[in-house]
Amino acid sequence: MDFEKYKSNINSANSLKKIDELEIKFLGRNGLINELLKKIKDIPANEKKDYGQKINQLKINLLQLIEVKRKELKGKKSGEFFDSTLPGKNYPKGSLHIVSFAIEEITKIFEKIGFIRVSYPEVDWEYSAFEALNMPKGHPARDDFETSYIDYPEGSKFGKMVLTPHTSNGQNREMRRAKKPPIRMINISKCYRPNWDTTHTPMFFQFEGLCVDDNISITHLKGTLDYFAEKYFGIGTKTRLRPHHFQFTEPSFEVDVTCTVCKGTSKVNGLRCKVCKSGWLELGGTGMVHPNVLSEGGIDPKKFSGWAFGFGIERVIMMKYSLDDIRNYYSGDVRFLEQF
Amino acid sequence: MNIKITHNWLLDYLETDATADQIREYLSLCGPSIESIEKIGNDYIYDIEVISNRIDYASVFGIAQEATAILPMFGKKAKLKSNPLKDLKFSKIKLGQGYDLKVKILNPNLVSRFTAVIYDGITIKDSPQFIKDRLSKVGIKVINNVVDISNYLMLTFGQPIHMFDYDKITGHHMIVRESKKGEKLVTLDEKEIVLPGGDVVIEDGSGKLIDLCGIMGGLNSAINSKTKRVLLFVQTYNKSKIRKTTMSTGQRTIAATFFEKGLDEERVEATTVAASELIEKYCLGKVVSKIQDIYPEKYKGKVIEIEQEKFDRLIGIKIDPKTIVTILTNLGFSVEKKDGNYSVAVPSHRKYDITMPEDLIEEVARIYGYHNIPSRLQPPAYVEQPKEMEDLFVFQNRIKIFLKHLGLNEIINYSMISLRLIEAFGLDSKKHLRLSNSISEDIEYLRISILPSLYKNIIDNTGKKEVMRFFEIGKVYLPKKDNLPDEVYKLGIAVNTDYFDLKGIVEALYKELNISDLRHPDEGRDPDIIEQNGFFMIEIDLQTLINNYHQVPKYQPISPFAVIKLDKTFELDNNMTYKMIEKKAFQSKLLQKIEVISLFENKLTLRFYYSSASENLTEETAKTELAKI
Repeated sequence: MDFEKYKSNINSANSLKKIDELEIKFLGRNGLINELLKKIKDIPANEKKDYGQKINQLKINLLQLIEVKRKELKGKKSGEFFDSTLPGKNYPKGSLHIVSFAIEEITKIFEKIGFIRVSYPEVDWEYSAFEALNMPKGHPARDDFETSYIDYPEGSKFGKMVLTPHTSNGQNREMRRAKKPPIRMINISKCYRPNWDTTHTPMFFQFEGLCVDDNISITHLKGTLDYFAEKYFGIGTKTRLRPHHFQFTEPSFEVDVTCTVCKGTSKVNGLRCKVCKSGWLELGGTGMVHPNVLSEGGIDPKKFSGWAFGFGIERVIMMKYSLDDIRNYYSGDVRFLEQF
Repeated sequence: MNIKITHNWLLDYLETDATADQIREYLSLCGPSIESIEKIGNDYIYDIEVISNRIDYASVFGIAQEATAILPMFGKKAKLKSNPLKDLKFSKIKLGQGYDLKVKILNPNLVSRFTAVIYDGITIKDSPQFIKDRLSKVGIKVINNVVDISNYLMLTFGQPIHMFDYDKITGHHMIVRESKKGEKLVTLDEKEIVLPGGDVVIEDGSGKLIDLCGIMGGLNSAINSKTKRVLLFVQTYNKSKIRKTTMSTGQRTIAATFFEKGLDEERVEATTVAASELIEKYCLGKVVSKIQDIYPEKYKGKVIEIEQEKFDRLIGIKIDPKTIVTILTNLGFSVEKKDGNYSVAVPSHRKYDITMPEDLIEEVARIYGYHNIPSRLQPPAYVEQPKEMEDLFVFQNRIKIFLKHLGLNEIINYSMISLRLIEAFGLDSKKHLRLSNSISEDIEYLRISILPSLYKNIIDNTGKKEVMRFFEIGKVYLPKKDNLPDEVYKLGIAVNTDYFDLKGIVEALYKELNISDLRHPDEGRDPDIIEQNGFFMIEIDLQTLINNYHQVPKYQPISPFAVIKLDKTFELDNNMTYKMIEKKAFQSKLLQKIEVISLFENKLTLRFYYSSASENLTEETAKTELAKI
């Protein structure tokens, strides 16, 4: 078993033909290995195992040497020009919708602080979409140019059937499902409004956060918004609240985050930032859950409090990646979609 | 809505050492959001967002009131130079006589305050320069002294005003009533409005309508260059009536955007007196009547009780009681404090938006400054996510990523499709839910299948991409009787390649999810794959995939016995399909699997893998098995 000799035989082979010959010589039916194996009957019984293992190891080593040499010889292919700058083999890439990326990212950010993602109807009763959110009949948001209605018999209990104009219908449904605090919800869903122009599509996505517990205060809402802004838009992103009005929160706020382009400085290369007004970009609406909304959800507003927000997915994508033509999102143009 | 006012105009009422930029910054943080500021000459123009419950600050005076509460929190001086609500009383108007207006209000629920004064000797001409300047700066068209004064005061006090040509009001009668359906009126902009009925209107003595209240006056009683006598008209209306009319008639005037939100009756007096002064000074009018002021239900005030603890709990930090009192007082509330509780009297201009303790918390917190409240995450809590919800999201994501890696493009389509597409796809529109107020026939029906949308995607993208493999995961909406529809997640895949391409994608997905595809064990062709115009599509219920999925496939111990591989070529025809060969081959218990090696014309070469779980097979045994096929 002169391994070194075999090795140098293989390494000095200079053609594929020679390698084939060596392979037969060593590993063929009547080759070296089989010859050695035949001799096993002459080996004392107590050494047979050891002998067998040695032969097997030799076989593996020879196989490897032959394969390496064969590849090397194939690569050279008798001096033909070999362009190693060519692109590699083409594997399919495919694409995910940009909204899918955002949904996953947002879900994960909130999962880490204990929020569960839920799924509630997109076609719902007026009750869940309005009454339960402190928006009684006659509220402007219920006008039929603000909300899409379904041609369906009106129910005596819950009113007409609507396409949810926001993800907030999930608030009442989650309170009813959980029955009692703590509630930590993130509801991501399609929403619909009868509005179709350069900056609106009749379908869009929102993500809704809801937190209800003992002694939830504005400090917690601020903490959560700061956390989200830093995780989603990047470290150093700041938020601010401005007074606003929504029926289902009191107090109500609008949230701004520092502009993703000028980083809140309102200047880019010494010129005024074209993206933001004064260093801030508007993110969306938020506030402390209105006592009527808690009561409608079966939660005692004297014992518990909460915060809620509802932001547009398209909006955060736009802010993060400057993808501003929202009409491309759902028109199905593959030239837009396949980029992601 | 937004309003524009100028800095110098604001300084008519506000005494402060804050600069225009500081006013912008501080007010935006604690009150009205000033979206932009523009310097023109020695003045600045503020563009201010007015949120829907705060119509009370939609004026120069309203912003001055907010500023007196906000600016001191930033160490700036701020107080009102004068308070028109106290200073401008009816007693300042020198009454006249000789002219009269007979008023009848048929339903007191329509007008909460009705005020009118008549002037004679009016000269219609240009307004004084300061009014022209200020109106032009804030983008309001300058017309003549009478009209300009109305607009100027609307912006000063947030109270729209109308002026009639008194001589055009037949019989000098005004009957305030609800319109009848179909009644007509031509408004100042020369549009004929057909009324839906129930709108607040004014009829003169002759039975014709002269005013679409709260929205726009009638053309028949309009001021023109010959006008000699005007009727100054300052009102507040039932807000929901005005909103209904402005929406249903499409007459979205500036006045309507004020009235529809509910105005403060207490500002009517100051506005009337201010208007009177300007009319006398710049239109040379003299009062020739008494003041008509119908104000049946004077605001009596209301008191809200709140405990200190409530502020602390919702804001999250303790706010000094002195600060609470200062803030509320500066905003115009009267506060009485005893034993850590507050009794807060709400001023007239805040009566609509302040109704409960939380509203007062908002007032205190915003003026204190949201930026001064610390930021911290709430204490953690564990909430169990329902398994069925978790599965929906986990699987959607898994499948999406897998299909993306196979080279497919994900599309998200509208949930609504057109009647045309439903019919082109051979579906029944009656089985779909329909929107009753769709804005486009392209999005009128809620889809019951994803495939029509994907089919449309392929057609729409023709010429943009050669090889198309699209997928979408989304809900379909299956109507139910007397209930919300079933919202079911479906996976749809569509390709413009061929049947086997799509079949391969489906098989790969099943393998990825470790599901043995048992959908149609006896059929050779996948009956779920449909063809339309040479495109191939399939729709799969997401829940079915979830229900049959395995994290890891069933474990097979590695067989210690030899596997015999045998190749055989078949000539395919109707009596010899792959499925038939497969069925027959698997009658052998020794067959482990079959692989397709090649297909040339109808010649199919297959590789058969035989092995036994109990012994080493000989090639002869395997060949015997193969020969049985």
